[in-house]
Amino acid sequence: MTLYMVQRCLFDHLRRLEAAGDGPKPDIVTEGYDLTPEERRAVTEPDIGAIYAMGTHPVIVNGFCRALGYKRADYRPLLENSGAVPTPRRTPWQKS
Amino acid sequence: MAEIVMAYSASHAPMMTADPGSAPREQADNFFSALETVRDRAKETGVQAIVMVTGEHFTNFFLDGLPQVAIGLDDEHLGPPEVWLQVPKKMVPSDSGLAKHIAAGLIEQGQQPAMSHGMKLDHGFMTVYYWLDNTMELPMVPIVLNCTTPPLMTARQFHDFGVAIGNAIRSYDGLERVALVAGGGLSHFVGEPRVGDIDEDFDHWFLDQLASGDLSEILAVPNDVLMEAGNGTGEVRAWIALAAAMGDKPGHVLAYEPVYEWINGMGVVLYDGDSAGAVPAGQA
Repeated sequence: MTLYMVQRCLFDHLRRLEAAGDGPKPDIVTEGYDLTPEERRAVTEPDIGAIYAMGTHPVIVNGFCRALGYKRADYRPLLENSGAVPTPRRTPWQKS
Repeated sequence: MAEIVMAYSASHAPMMTADPGSAPREQADNFFSALETVRDRAKETGVQAIVMVTGEHFTNFFLDGLPQVAIGLDDEHLGPPEVWLQVPKKMVPSDSGLAKHIAAGLIEQGQQPAMSHGMKLDHGFMTVYYWLDNTMELPMVPIVLNCTTPPLMTARQFHDFGVAIGNAIRSYDGLERVALVAGGGLSHFVGEPRVGDIDEDFDHWFLDQLASGDLSEILAVPNDVLMEAGNGTGEVRAWIALAAAMGDKPGHVLAYEPVYEWINGMGVVLYDGDSAGAVPAGQA
């Protein structure tokens, strides 16, 4: 329902994984979070591109991808194909 | 009164302790050699405690209550929470008298830091701190900054914040020799389509300003433009604050290596202590 709820759901999941240590990895929990069907699908499937495109904080995206065991080469294409790639702008330090 | 006997800024990529051998040997050697230089300087100057500023990574705060700046006020803080960091978990001593003095001093100077108990020290602190003192006995006052979640304090606001931190440390009469340390940066992209990129142009441009002591260009960069250099690059706010605390005197760039295996521009900039140069400009 709100971007905060998506991020809260993912963040709480990451904390539960951390608490589990070397024990069994808990599945992501969506009950108790006010999510739309699309948000629920994105976090449970999971659909990294959709999660990113919603505006999820990149630190959470990064942590979630790492928790899934993705290497950078695995998840960079998912983000590049998310449809939410910002257009680069000219900067004062850009040489070329 | 305390003197800031040295100050330095250093990148804090987790891989520098988690998997240091993953970097090209020459790059790693150059970066770590710079950290050895600052470690030697700390011993030479007899540092009694450090004040360290670094970016918050949702280790201590989340979106339900995210301060722009928070100071850890306890006598000791647990670090690091990341079991994979290859840094032993330990209660790291602090100097709560200095921490409380800095908090009060910042508020008196118009800053509004949050006060925190139970602060944890993640890789933002521990990678750099562990290289400074692998016994982890040197007291460290931790300060976290919001560098990734808009709306953000600007570079210029962090410069003002740095001046205030310098004033606060120097007005503390409980210690004589304090070091100021900044962790984070240089350019890196996290959890976004450019993950793994390094903006070498930005890194050189920024380091040149620190080396010259003229930060006017970086201070004029708006937050959204700074983000173009990488969504993790905003951690250079800590470097800007540190430069300001040292009166914007020229820093010594000891190392710069774009380490793509660590997805991070890795740099170290060292500043001479107060007694080694002119009285910092703009200090009360």
